[in-house]
Amino acid sequence: MADLYPIKLTVNGKPHQCSVQPRTHLVDFLRDDLGLKGSHLGCEHGVCGACTVELNGQIVRGCLTLAVQADGGTVQTIEGVSASGVIRDLQDAFVRRNALQCGFCTSGMLMAAKELVEQMPHANRAEVREWISGNYCRCTGYHAIVDAICDVLQQRKEATA
Amino acid sequence: MKAAAFDYVKPASIDQVIALLQEHGDDARLLAGGQTLMATLNMRLSEPQLVVDITGIESLRGISVQGPVLRIGALATHTDIEFSPLVARHAPLLKAAAPHIAHRAIRNSGTFGGSIAYADPAAEWPTCLLALGGTVVARGPKGERRIAADDFFTGLYSTALQPDELLTACEIPLAGADHWFGFSELARRHGDYAIVGMAATARREGDALHGLRIVLLGVDATPVRARQTETLLEARALDMATVTQAVASLRSEIDPLPDLTNTPDTKRHLAGVLLHRMLPTAATATTATA
Amino acid sequence: MELTGDILIGAPREKVWAGLNDPEILTRCIPGCEAMEATSPTERTARVAVKIGPVRARFVGHVRMEDIRPNEGCVLRFQGSGGAAGMAKGHSNVDLTDEAGGTRLSYTAQAAIGGKLGQVGGRMIDAASKQMADQFFTAFNEQMVGVPVTEVAESAPAEAASPATAAAPAPFVPRTVHAPQPAASGEGVRVLWFVLGSLSTGFGVWIASLLTV
Repeated sequence: MADLYPIKLTVNGKPHQCSVQPRTHLVDFLRDDLGLKGSHLGCEHGVCGACTVELNGQIVRGCLTLAVQADGGTVQTIEGVSASGVIRDLQDAFVRRNALQCGFCTSGMLMAAKELVEQMPHANRAEVREWISGNYCRCTGYHAIVDAICDVLQQRKEATA
Repeated sequence: MKAAAFDYVKPASIDQVIALLQEHGDDARLLAGGQTLMATLNMRLSEPQLVVDITGIESLRGISVQGPVLRIGALATHTDIEFSPLVARHAPLLKAAAPHIAHRAIRNSGTFGGSIAYADPAAEWPTCLLALGGTVVARGPKGERRIAADDFFTGLYSTALQPDELLTACEIPLAGADHWFGFSELARRHGDYAIVGMAATARREGDALHGLRIVLLGVDATPVRARQTETLLEARALDMATVTQAVASLRSEIDPLPDLTNTPDTKRHLAGVLLHRMLPTAATATTATA
Repeated sequence: MELTGDILIGAPREKVWAGLNDPEILTRCIPGCEAMEATSPTERTARVAVKIGPVRARFVGHVRMEDIRPNEGCVLRFQGSGGAAGMAKGHSNVDLTDEAGGTRLSYTAQAAIGGKLGQVGGRMIDAASKQMADQFFTAFNEQMVGVPVTEVAESAPAEAASPATAAAPAPFVPRTVHAPQPAASGEGVRVLWFVLGSLSTGFGVWIASLLTV
């Protein structure tokens, strides 16, 4: 069995050259090899959404993506999108609306919400609920999270009006 | 849980993939979107020696019109299909069904070819392919062949694909001006496996439908065509009496298998509900989605 | 999970009983069966490789036979473990009755699935059980009425025998050659039960595996 496979990828704007076991999925690579602990693992079979990261500009389930599949690609994690400020309004809304308690689901929620507000700027509450239903939360009961996202949709609409 | 160790290779050509399948047989698994395979590996329900990543093969990508058909490459993602202008125009059933598939993060990675080859009876794409009368294009050591959707889904997670064949694309007849379609699915929560779902296509002439294909998902080991009901509805004006008869026919012709939370009778009832909601739209509009 | 079914085997009841008692025939009929051994006079263990969809799981099943009625029927109690994937436990009944054209073999099986497999739910249990049962009994019927011989220099009919045809032995060569075992209680019966038990257990683990994906 081959041991390590070389990969080259950009993570949060920084280029990396690493060697990984083929079986290592993207979030284990990000957490263990790069020390980026913001992405979390819940179910590891694609249903809870805690592992949501951006690969090549789209959100994916990090637990269902092999690190070797990110070879040559671009990854953004919660650390990256937070540092760049692109989700500042989402983060502020989450705090204001009390949309997190333990915080375990929050990075995944924010990554998913980021793609929603970018791709569906006119989403209504029902559409927000449907979209975010791919991320599980055990603490908040979801309404505060939906409120926060709707707040941001409204704010962004007003800002561009 | 973590997947067991495996070797990994990313071939550049279909011929290389076929050679690997011949060499390794069942010890190798094909990786496309990975939304099913990775879940399986992470839960250690399979421990292959080799994973063959086919996402480097450009000829498997793309959505294009090829003469009388819409060609959907095996690696077209669910999101690609959801937002493709060609799909919206030539196979709008697929655009209507796409948002029902899981959630956006999964749709960004999961592929059409993977879904068809996996042949989950509760999945949207196999049912839609059958409703559209599409064709699977496969390549193996003996070359390329085409398999009609009606002949493709042979049993539970079983298809007509040989172990040394790769699904390279699907071809779907272009929708004509008289095309009518409907897609509807019932699930407890959005993104869950459907309790029952229905995809239907036909040609509309006046207030009657011709050449109907009515297909159900989630009721049996494969997607199920309701041929008795299709025949009943052929060329009949869609008044309420006809719809009622069709619903009764559908309920009598299917023999649903239960799942953990739904009995055969529940599925039978719900299938009728879907048809009851879907058919009247043919009399008034060109499409039905719910 | 509950499974019931029946199949008309194109062979007389005694022959069917003998076939169900034949370990080699049974091993060939259970999809994926790799090994079978006695752990005590009334118990058997089998290892079966389950292959459905993307799932590949090996499970070990244990079966205990009870209530043997030679040439007529029996009860099997079984449990199986698929390792980390989960486990299954249950029982099954098999009954043989004479019918025009051969023997009607009726079976019921009930299993409870647990562990990771059970957790995902029974979405595919019934479909997978049915398929596995169909595979087993189709293979078993082929063993009973004979299968086409593929080797050169055999003078057997080229087409597969159909299950509904003659109950009398046809001019063909069966795939396996065995002397039928005595119909009385003993080794053969236990094997039969064991096999049916493994089969049922197999379903459980199998099915469950499907549910996870």
